[in-house]
Amino acid sequence: MSMLDIRNVTKQFGSLVAVNSVSMQVAAGELRAIIGPNGAGKTTFFNMISGFFAPSAGDIVFDGTTVTKLAVAERVAMGMARTFQITEIFPELTVRENIRIGVESALGLRQRFWIGATQKAEVNRGIDEALTQTGLTVSADRLVGELSHGDQRAAEIATALTLKPRLLLLDEPTAGMGEHETYAVANLIRRLHKNSAYTIVLIEHDMRVVFNLADKITVLGEGKMLAEGTPDEIAANPIVQEAYLGKAE
Amino acid sequence: MSTATTTAVTTPVMPARPWLTTAIIFAALLTVPVWLPMLGGYTALAGRVLVLGLAAMSFNLLLGFTGVMSFGHAAYFGLGAYGAGLTLKYIAPSTPLAMVGGVLLGGILGSLFGRLIAQRRGVYFAMVTVAFGQIAFYVTYSWDSLTGGYDGLRGFSRAPLNLGFTTIDITNNSTYFYYFLLFVFAVATGLQALLLASPFGRTLVAIRENERRARFLGIPIERHIWMSFSISCCFTALAGALYALLNNFADPMGLHYSLSGEIVIMTVMGGMRAFWGPLIGAALFVVLQDYISSMTVNWMSFVGLIFVLVVLFFPRGLLGMLQKGTQR
Amino acid sequence: MLQLVLYNVTNGLIIGAFYVLMALGLSLILNLSNVINFAHGNFLALGGYIAFVLTPFLGYWGALIVSPLITALFGFAIERLMIRRVYSRDPVYSLLLTFGLAFIMQDACRYVWGPSGLQTSIPDILSAPLSADLFFITWYRIFMVALVIAAVSGLFAFLRFTRVGIRIRAGTLDLDTVSILGVNVGMLRSMNFAVGSLLAGLAGVLAAGQVGLNPNMGDDLLMPSFIAIIVGGVGSLTGTLCGGLLIGVAGALTTVFWPAASEAVIYVIMLVVLILRPRGLMGQEGMMS
Repeated sequence: MSMLDIRNVTKQFGSLVAVNSVSMQVAAGELRAIIGPNGAGKTTFFNMISGFFAPSAGDIVFDGTTVTKLAVAERVAMGMARTFQITEIFPELTVRENIRIGVESALGLRQRFWIGATQKAEVNRGIDEALTQTGLTVSADRLVGELSHGDQRAAEIATALTLKPRLLLLDEPTAGMGEHETYAVANLIRRLHKNSAYTIVLIEHDMRVVFNLADKITVLGEGKMLAEGTPDEIAANPIVQEAYLGKAE
Repeated sequence: MSTATTTAVTTPVMPARPWLTTAIIFAALLTVPVWLPMLGGYTALAGRVLVLGLAAMSFNLLLGFTGVMSFGHAAYFGLGAYGAGLTLKYIAPSTPLAMVGGVLLGGILGSLFGRLIAQRRGVYFAMVTVAFGQIAFYVTYSWDSLTGGYDGLRGFSRAPLNLGFTTIDITNNSTYFYYFLLFVFAVATGLQALLLASPFGRTLVAIRENERRARFLGIPIERHIWMSFSISCCFTALAGALYALLNNFADPMGLHYSLSGEIVIMTVMGGMRAFWGPLIGAALFVVLQDYISSMTVNWMSFVGLIFVLVVLFFPRGLLGMLQKGTQR
Repeated sequence: MLQLVLYNVTNGLIIGAFYVLMALGLSLILNLSNVINFAHGNFLALGGYIAFVLTPFLGYWGALIVSPLITALFGFAIERLMIRRVYSRDPVYSLLLTFGLAFIMQDACRYVWGPSGLQTSIPDILSAPLSADLFFITWYRIFMVALVIAAVSGLFAFLRFTRVGIRIRAGTLDLDTVSILGVNVGMLRSMNFAVGSLLAGLAGVLAAGQVGLNPNMGDDLLMPSFIAIIVGGVGSLTGTLCGGLLIGVAGALTTVFWPAASEAVIYVIMLVVLILRPRGLMGQEGMMS
């Protein structure tokens, strides 16, 4: 059974059809890349999976449970975590504090006015674990707003990981990054992928990252699904080539 | 709110040495009866600063720490005052009971109202809070059989504190009353500090910083905003109750939206990102207002001018500017 | 009985018309610039006072036309000098700014023209009632309502058909796109604020003829304007229009049956709307933030 099952999902904004009856199945532990030219509806698609808004039609099934109408927080509680195209973290807080919020939320402590020593220790353990996983232990006490792009992204991913997600949704993780940082973030994602507890779906424009990391690729164009397959299949697919490069003269 | 993160208020919450500010403030407050008269002031003025400072700090739980704008907070202040006054007048001449009465009246109504509007944000939230404040104001001056209408609620006074082994005469001795106020103030602000340092408090800051992100971390935003609102109203009502005790009087102007605006400007003047900011702002504002109104009949223009100048030139407030100085 | 009801409903529509005029101006400014103009009531008063000053020179009709224009100019200046500096910041600052502005304007009016009311005069032809039976419907009241209808229609036409109006509407929905399309957003906001101030000024001139001038005259209309916007729905001008009329008439009808509750009924309506349909009668989903 697939971890994520998207069935004929459509999204309309007035008369604009942003996503047109797209279906997709992602198996557990898979790394799926969603690609497509600008305006193809990728982010809208993502927004529906993560629960930012509901689809006009269609269903979203997460690990056997239909989540189509569930709110964001409920999906998070079920194991979905997401990062954003423009790094969304809490810039005025340190890396450690950012991660702490995630850990406390995951442990169900976010409404407590006071926590005991054992729980405090558990929280700190969770923070250290997230820091090590993403290689940020050195920058733990620096303000996130002051870090390099790549480290900010790693901090964002670290915070997402504290939620112990089963599905990780990454929206253009290497957006706006140079060579070096792209490489670092891609490696981080690769490490996470090796840990088969995570199913990863990402939107990407950088084809090197996509073709290096993805198990399967879904191509969207003008709101519709154009093609789906392994990297090799996609590279050879004429429809995909046309969508990206335009009709051959 | 998060998408408009400003460069004006990017300094972190804790100053370099957090205990230092607290120590200085309490040292000053504890010795007020000594130095204030020397400057031409009087203890009741300090009492006023404490009460309005508490109101502003309670308000700031919402504005500075949760990132939510309420422009009708005077309503809960006034309701607290009336709650205390009505308790003293009709139920029992007991000061602690009066405080409880005030907190209950302001806190419960605030909580109910907060539940209605927790979905809203930004200026629309502010608008509805103003409207609710107006409702409270209207009820207060219309229901004159209960509240005394425009003239205000009179005929009650704070009762001496009976601690069992001794009675403290806070009714007649203004110095004793001042220390009583300070004691309640210290306990209330202590609770607020504990709250902000807890996981709950951190979640509020997360909501302030980036609501969307907080939502994606599984934080139920509306519920937390409602809780923060309710808690803020309770503390503000406590401040109102103390105000009634201070003046032995409660009146509708305590609920008027002009006071709401003043609470906001006190908070911003002192620094809305700093814990003690609102208290400093309240002190500044009360002193300025006192001074200006004794000098000219057009004090309202000057108050308005203070608003404008602070917004345009001192948005980070006094403590905000000081923190920036000690930071890098 | 019928006469009593008719009397009150007429009153209600007139009051409602004022609420509408004020609320539309407030709503325009709110929708485009995300600013609550706490000084809106003071702009109303200003309009009235300026008309008072101009009447000896321009006559009633001249003042009626010129005063709102001057108020609009004043609004334009205020927006450019002060309000535009705080758009990029936390919304609390713009609220504080208009709040302080309200204090200053109120005190200034009091200082210049005195704290007590001033009498204004309206042309005799307008003071006459319609008929002996309908003594409470003077031509002035009909004139006021007609003028409000004209102003509101003019506003909607402006927003629908003129270039600036269309840009304002587009900007309300998506300011970023509008600016990418090359529109000068700063000027757009200033003009929008000016239009809002114009409406307030007009309301002031009309109100002056009805209730006289005093520095606080705008206060009584400010809060109902807020409520008209909340009830009608944020983001919707038509909603504001309906909201204003609704609370005006509701208040008036209540006066017939239960006079003491006539002010309260406005608040009750607001609470009911907040509980049952939080986005307002015609508000759009997701316009909350």
